[in-house]
Amino acid sequence: MLVFAASDKGGTGRSVTSANLAYHHALDGSDVCFLDFDFGSPTAATVFDLPDVPAEAEGTGLHAYLRGAANEPLRIDVWSRTEHLDLRDRPAGSGRLVLVPGDRSGGEFVTGEEHLHRCVDLILRLHREFDVIVVDLSAGRSYAVDLVLAATSPRGGLAGLKHRWLVFHRWTRQHVAAAAELAFGPRGIVQAGAAMGHEPDVLRAAIRFVRAAVPDLESPPWSHVTPAQYAWMRHCDSTLETLASTRGVGRTWTLASIPLEPVLQWQERLITIEDVYDRQIANQATWDALIGLAQQLTDDTLWGER
Amino acid sequence: MSRTGRDPHPVIACGEVRTCLLPTRDALDERAAVKLLRLRPDERVRVSRHPNRYVVSPEVLTGVDCPLPTDTGARVRAVGTVGSHASLVEGRVIQATASFSLPAVGTDRRQAWSYYLVRPGSLVPVGQLPQRALVRGFLLGHRPGRLDVGSIAESVLARISRQDRILDHDPPLTAADTRLRWTAVRTAAGEEPSSLFTKGEDGLRTLELSLPSGLPPTAAVGLCEELALHDWLLTTVADKLDGLPTGAADDRAVLRVLRPLVDHLLHLWMPRARVDRVLQTVWNQLEETPGYSRQWTAHAQRIRDQLALRAIHLRDEVPGRR
Ligand SMILES: Nc1ncnc2c1ncn2[C@@H]1O[C@H](COP(=O)(O)OP(=O)(O)OP(=O)(O)O)[C@@H](O)[C@H]1O
Ligand SMILES: [Mg+2]
Repeated sequence: MLVFAASDKGGTGRSVTSANLAYHHALDGSDVCFLDFDFGSPTAATVFDLPDVPAEAEGTGLHAYLRGAANEPLRIDVWSRTEHLDLRDRPAGSGRLVLVPGDRSGGEFVTGEEHLHRCVDLILRLHREFDVIVVDLSAGRSYAVDLVLAATSPRGGLAGLKHRWLVFHRWTRQHVAAAAELAFGPRGIVQAGAAMGHEPDVLRAAIRFVRAAVPDLESPPWSHVTPAQYAWMRHCDSTLETLASTRGVGRTWTLASIPLEPVLQWQERLITIEDVYDRQIANQATWDALIGLAQQLTDDTLWGER
Repeated sequence: MSRTGRDPHPVIACGEVRTCLLPTRDALDERAAVKLLRLRPDERVRVSRHPNRYVVSPEVLTGVDCPLPTDTGARVRAVGTVGSHASLVEGRVIQATASFSLPAVGTDRRQAWSYYLVRPGSLVPVGQLPQRALVRGFLLGHRPGRLDVGSIAESVLARISRQDRILDHDPPLTAADTRLRWTAVRTAAGEEPSSLFTKGEDGLRTLELSLPSGLPPTAAVGLCEELALHDWLLTTVADKLDGLPTGAADDRAVLRVLRPLVDHLLHLWMPRARVDRVLQTVWNQLEETPGYSRQWTAHAQRIRDQLALRAIHLRDEVPGRR
């Protein structure tokens, strides 16, 4: 399955959450590949704790590959290369976890179809090797978004592959509106896809939202604020819920809400079971929400027509 | 013999084999397989039916004029064509091979293309060829600006993968590709043929062969494809069995992993199906020391036992069902 991780704004939690999602699928036994299609600012190497990879990827990363400067993009086996101590011993029963890193290597994309063909060839290859392929796309209606829309369009070459879109957003008025705009607005994913030959209803049915860094009002510190503050926040929360549902971003179309997590607030990283139970630095609720996200993503019953 | 007369082991051929599962729900029948592998309209796809079904595409030539890989960094320009083809085993496992052979003697200067075109699948060095440096450099792998045989093999796979009228891209299991990079040199007079096989990271294998003179490069290609196929099978099955939960719990999850192995892979093990007679001893060396066939038999037995046990267990679990 192909999973496209998109967001309208930068800094929403798209990369960190989707990397954690990839990690959970691998823990679950699936073979997983994470592609850093955020051409502007590749960050996956940081999240997976691979400090040497950015230098290694110069000239051999995804950008170089798509431009034709490298014949095959670099692949990094996360279990064996990561410096994250909890990840060093590959857990029993886990699947492969591979990162195809991005690179900043200069040079614009050539126009024409060449990079589209290269993108299709790469994904076809990864698709026979991996159960889940997570593609982290740059924010907004970016070049990366257009590239995968074209690749999955009827004439693109990947139309037959099962693919799902996750649109990440934070839990504020601006972010909710922006996420709806990216999905359904006049310059959004559905419209852009339709122009490339996608069936709009099918595309719409393949999009779900993920709320990232959502404060949980029932747990500290939010549950310990003054009554007035609490009441005000409750009000905001329900106003937001109303706004979201009028924009098509309501609970029904939301796959998961990832709580505001102190560990992620401080560091872009994978949250491990040791973080939750041994070190007790990460919240159980975050761990559970990430498991929920991973399960819902592959639960076909949740992905019917819209 | 090489022109210098100093090197007793002239290189005869180098290549890379890539092996992967064909991305289809079911194995392809012969007609579809022939269609899939028609890489050239002017040449026939070859089919052999015994001891298993094996379909081979025509040879495709890629013209190259670039430096060869060397471990010393020495720049040796070579010109000519790299041959590549794909083969499909039992409609299920696809292999792409790109390879070239080298004449013992190069040319002093670059020739016109007509010279190279009458030597299909052969790269002719311009100037001296440091044989050892080439073998070691080739096995080390691709470096920017040098000949990249692996990517030629990969482009054959990519071309085949794009045929989505034949391929549904819905395979019954996922499996990592493997890459076997190999070199073959001639044995010195009186020496036995030999081989050195290594397994590296990320599906990379290398094989250094030393073969009797007079053997055509195609015999080396056949041996390497056969080894690559069996290594891939063993790797894939071992990978699926690794970490399989052993308890009584999760019967269905275990069955989901094991069923496709039985349905799609177990019958493919057929060592020596297409190994040249002269090379049987090399094959035996390769197979016996690590004990591939014994390991395969053990895996296959374990899969069948597990399936039987889980099936009984599941039947007993569900009341009123038989
Ligand atoms: N659930 C969370 N709780 C707290 N902080 C979070 C959470 N998720 C992500 N963050 C933090 O928010 C910041 C932005 O996250 P991330 O880099 O994943 O965003 P992004 O959408 O990929 O941004 P960009 O568009 O710049 O790539 C990071 O510092 C990250 O650690
Ligand atoms: Mg990011």
